[in-house]
Amino acid sequence: MPARQIAFGLALVALAALGPLVGSQYHQAFLLQLFMMVALAQSWNLISGMTGYVSFGHAAFFGVGAYAGTLFIQSGFPWWLAILNGSLIALALSVPLGFLTLRLRGAYFAVAMLGLNEVARIVATLWVSLTNGGSGITLQPAILPPLTVNYYLMLALAIVATIIVARVYHSRFGLELRAIREDEGAAEMIGVNTTRGKLTAFVLSALIPGAAGTVNVMYTSYINPSSAFDPSLNIQMIVMAMFGGSGTVWGPVLGASIVMGLREMLWAQYPALHLMFLGAMLLAVVLFLPGGIISLFTRKKVVRPEVMSTGDGERRG
Amino acid sequence: MSQALLDIRGLETAYGAVQVLFGVDMEVHAGEIVAIIGPNGAGKSTVIKSVIGLAPARAGTITFNGRDITREAPHHIPALGIGYVPQGRIVFARMTVEDNLEMGAFLIKDNAKRRQAVEAVFAQFPRLHERRSQLAGSLSGGEQQMLAIGRALMLDPKLVILDEPSLGLSPKYVDLIFEQLVGLKKQGRTLLMVEQNAARALELSDRAYALELGRNRFTGKGAELLANPDVRRMYLGGYGVRTGSAG
Repeated sequence: MPARQIAFGLALVALAALGPLVGSQYHQAFLLQLFMMVALAQSWNLISGMTGYVSFGHAAFFGVGAYAGTLFIQSGFPWWLAILNGSLIALALSVPLGFLTLRLRGAYFAVAMLGLNEVARIVATLWVSLTNGGSGITLQPAILPPLTVNYYLMLALAIVATIIVARVYHSRFGLELRAIREDEGAAEMIGVNTTRGKLTAFVLSALIPGAAGTVNVMYTSYINPSSAFDPSLNIQMIVMAMFGGSGTVWGPVLGASIVMGLREMLWAQYPALHLMFLGAMLLAVVLFLPGGIISLFTRKKVVRPEVMSTGDGERRG
Repeated sequence: MSQALLDIRGLETAYGAVQVLFGVDMEVHAGEIVAIIGPNGAGKSTVIKSVIGLAPARAGTITFNGRDITREAPHHIPALGIGYVPQGRIVFARMTVEDNLEMGAFLIKDNAKRRQAVEAVFAQFPRLHERRSQLAGSLSGGEQQMLAIGRALMLDPKLVILDEPSLGLSPKYVDLIFEQLVGLKKQGRTLLMVEQNAARALELSDRAYALELGRNRFTGKGAELLANPDVRRMYLGGYGVRTGSAG
């Protein structure tokens, strides 16, 4: 990864780490949600931005992880174990699911994932003995960590997600994924194990949402099926990743920041119209900047196999 | 006869419930150009899809270079020494010509070696060199076909398999691509191709297999098949039957 980008990332992290020291509760709460969206948009980016398999149901991992974590906390386990559990359950779900759905190409995969999210929501609603159904589960605030801790946890998830994306992007594995995105048949012909590549990316993309779901419940202290498997969450992570630039390292960070920031600024002033402004902006970006906002800053190149041999990008000028 | 480089015995392949091949036998020897001809639905492309693992064989054996590859997965094929040029010139459209070639050597981790392979292909296809920083999607059909062939050569394969190399190309490029195939043979490469332009394929090839409804129908030297009235009638649409000339 280029040194300039690492320096940029470190500066961002340092800035974010100062948040609780200088910002109000309101600022912390806003940034916590921003970090959550960065973590989710990056996770979506791993599978959908890198391989072109567009998932419309990544909230399913978020929700399943959230329930898994909540039930752990409710049973008296420490919250850090609950976060781990949320992540692992999402991972455990992603493996068989990936085997089943990643054979589907194009729109079929997108719709299958959308269906998954709905199925998960219905199961959570009907499985009353486990989830308390539509009434949801309220956790005692006393057993939950304070806002500042949740703030740093969510920040950590956003950082980890971004690091995973960066590591993949600058690796041979990332090149495999981009070959799959450009043409899966051709990728196979040059010796890429496409099944393994897709599945690995999918499983990696489920990890962070599972953990983020748990931390989100630790922050709100409440979970119900429609908050856990909120279909608009799917749309939000896609919109943010595409707005910034999907398939890139910084696009989702940029996209989540701009969309969340604008929304926060606009909704107070234009309660009814703010979504229209955002919609118009998204349209403009998709139409005029298909590579996302990030493409304003990067030279026009789609894929360069500069990372074929790991760590050596100096082969041509 | 020496052992065949590619040996197909009793190949049966089906897509789901629809069986396409019913026991096809085929041999390709080192240094040969072998053509597979036949009408639509004869199973020409299915034979090579079975070889490279895209349409796994239901019965029969496929041996390459002494190794059983009947159940090999497609992504293992390039490393074994088989280059594949798919039908329809599938290139990475949003990558440059040069990057497409480099992707062809994806399995080579040594930068210097990969560069060597790229230069070798450029030497062979000067046109690709001229266009090396252009996006592959912006090339003409013939140039894309050249690129697909060049990419298949990146790992220095023992056998190059081509699926309909002339399909959809302008006559000028058809000539050019066929010339290049002869050039590959002169370099000592072995070629197996499926070709709808049966007359051109027979002229070019050392031997050919004519398939009909998933079975071997005629086999022989390209020139012999070209002179065979039955083959002419069935596969060449009466091409040259009356004049007796190969055109």
